[in-house]
This record gives sequence, C-alpha cells and structure tokens, in this order.
Amino acid sequence: MDNMEYIESYFKGNNTAAQKLQFENKILDDPGFADEVAFYISANGAMKQELYDEKKQRFREMYDSHKVITMKPRVRSLWKYMAAASVIIAAFVLTWIFSVNSASPHQLADKYIQQNFKTLNVTMGNGDSLQTGISLFNSGKLDEALSIFETLENRDPANSEALKYAGIVSLRLNNYDKAIKYFSLLAANSSLYSNSGKFYKAITLLERNSEGDKEQAKQLLQEVVDKDLEGKNEAEKWLKTF
Amino acid sequence: MESKATLLVDDDEMIRAIKENKMARRQMENQLFNQYSYLIKEGMNKYSLEQEDAFTAYSDTIIQSLENIAGSIFEKRSSLKTYLYKIFNNKCVDLIRKKTTNKRSIYQTAPVSEMMNMISDQAKNVIQQLIEKNDFDLVRKRINELGENCRKLLLFFADGYNDKEIAEFLEYKTADVVKTSRLRCMEKLRGMYTKNNG
Repeated sequence: MDNMEYIESYFKGNNTAAQKLQFENKILDDPGFADEVAFYISANGAMKQELYDEKKQRFREMYDSHKVITMKPRVRSLWKYMAAASVIIAAFVLTWIFSVNSASPHQLADKYIQQNFKTLNVTMGNGDSLQTGISLFNSGKLDEALSIFETLENRDPANSEALKYAGIVSLRLNNYDKAIKYFSLLAANSSLYSNSGKFYKAITLLERNSEGDKEQAKQLLQEVVDKDLEGKNEAEKWLKTF
Repeated sequence: MESKATLLVDDDEMIRAIKENKMARRQMENQLFNQYSYLIKEGMNKYSLEQEDAFTAYSDTIIQSLENIAGSIFEKRSSLKTYLYKIFNNKCVDLIRKKTTNKRSIYQTAPVSEMMNMISDQAKNVIQQLIEKNDFDLVRKRINELGENCRKLLLFFADGYNDKEIAEFLEYKTADVVKTSRLRCMEKLRGMYTKNNG
C-alpha cells in the first residue's frame, strides 16, 4: 500500500523535482516497482474506460427514453407545420381574391381585352369577306383585317358584325377613337337581339383612360346592367370596383 | 429530446456546477447531454453517419468536454455550444477515419497517455513496455469483480472526485478513511489481477 500511495502522489503532481527524479530512478532500478507503476497506469486507464462506458450507457438510456417522448412533440410539430402551411395558403388565396377584387376598372378592361380579343371565333361571322377578315385578325394581320371590316361596313352600314369587328381591331391597334366610333354605331343599332356595343365602348373608354372616360364608362356599364345587355355579368362586377 | 432540453442552462451556470458543485455534477452531465443532443441528427445529416455512430461521437464529445471543463482546459474563449460543435465535428471526422478499426480507440488511449506524459523519457520507455504486456480487458474484468464498495471508491476517484467529496457521497466518516480504503482496494485489484495473470 505504501508504494500505491507513493505512485499516486507522483501522478497527482505534488512532488518536487528531486522527488520526481528519485521516483523515476526507482522505476529504472526496481523492476517490481516499475511493474506496480505500469499496473497503476493500466488500472487507471481501465477505470476511465469503465466510467466512459457507464456514462455512455446513461446517455444511451436517456437518449432512447427521450426518443420515445419526442414522438409526440414530432406529431405536434407536424401539426404546427401544417397549420403554418394552411395560413400561408389562406394568405395567398385571400391576397389573390383581394387582388382580383381590388383591381381597377382599367385593369379589368385590360384583362378582358387580353382574354377575349386575342383571337376571334371564325364561326361568329358569316360571309366570305368577314371570315377572311377574322382569319387575318387571328394571324396577327390587324391592319389588313381592319381594312376588310371597314370595307364591309362602308358597303353596308347596318352590318353589325363588321362594325363589331372593326371596333375590336381598332381597339387592338390602340386606335381608341376609331374603336369608340364603331362601338357607338353598333350600340345605336336597336334592332339587334344581342348588342355588345355599349359594353365594348365602356371597355374602350376604360382602356383609353382619358379625362372623363372612367365616369362615362361607369354610366355605360350601369346601362348594360339596367337594360340587361350583353356583358351584364362583367358590368355588375366591374361597377363594384369603381 | 425536447422535454428536458427546453430547460436551458446558461454556460456560466453549467460550467460552475461541473467545476465546483460536484454534488450536482451528474445532473449537469445529463443536462449538457440533453441540451445539445440535436447534434446527433446533424452528424447523421452532415457526415452521413449511422445513428449509433453519431451517438458515439456525441457521447465522446460530451465526456471529453466535461473533462475539459472540470480540468479548466476549456477557457471560455467561445461559447460552450461552439466549443462542443467543434469537438463534435472532429469526433465525427475521427470516427469516419477509424471506422474500419476499433471505434472505442478514439477515447481509450487518452487517460494512459496523460499519465505517461508526466514521466521522463528513459523511465517512460520501461513503463511503456510493461503496460503493453498488461491485459487491459482483464484489468477491467477484475475491477468489476472487486465488489461494489471498492469499485465505487476507485471509479469516483478516477472521475476526478477527491477523498473528501467521496466521503460525502458514500457516507464514509472522513477523507482519510476513504483514502486508506481506496488504496487497499487498489492493492486488492492488483492482487486479483496478478494472481490469475502472473
């Protein structure tokens, strides 16, 4: 036991330089003592390893038990993510609805033109010249299409189809004054069962957006609604945005 | 690990408890382990480690950090979190390198080399040769055959507790009684080891 205490004292670092030298000389001179020192170090390493394994086992048990516990929070956190995703989606939907509802009359008119006046249905008209004009319009030859529709209108001022298409092409060409003229002529034709003249004129006014156009467009749209004219559904919605 | 990790303990409190309040040390070890256990998952993702390997790297990190904190090797130049993170990354890299050999060797040689470094070169060579002859696994086996009292005395001391603290834990009358008992246990261990090995 004396040697063990002596060895322990050395490794605690309590010895003076002289005592250290004496200790190390004893290792060199006394094989039995050297063996005890070697065992002390080995045993210390073994104990540290025991401690390491014990701690690791303790951590393992803790980790495994918490893993079971964390299964519930994981489900909870999944709900959190789902709730967050729902909020984001709802925000997008509301933003979209709001953006649709909050679009200005000018934006709505612009959108209508993009959606409805890009191409014309060839079955809409009758007669060779009218179909040729529609085909030219659909192939992007707007000036040539307008020329045909104007020719038809000049030949027969009562040709409502020619008037309508002449107005649409003029609108596409951003010739708003001309478009308004044709749509006004169309609107004035009271013999038609379905007349889109007033609605199209309102669109053109909103698109031109000059001073007083908006107010005039609003009156036309109100008239479309009141008289149950073509474009009533859109007119009702658009009036709410003024 | 959320259930306990939510009770976060700040660095200063944890370091003080580990270094000074040895009665609360084990509790702090557990706290430290829980507090940063998310690193296990990070090790799995970042280094493509199996969960068991990431757990080993993290356990080693905590055990080494505890020793460094207790031994004042950790100088608070960074936060505890940063310090652990660096050690953990090194452990993961070591683990990947040593995966084909013995994983436990990451830790195993450390205590032996610490003591060896205290001995001058000439004596060290003699001791080194003798240690290589010792059967490490047999020593461990004998430690576990010592009996619970002796085993506890030796392991507490090896874990850095002094005789006074051990006396408090294990309800010995005095520190001197602990020291005497402990040295006897060490002799007993050597006797058991040499009896079957000698």
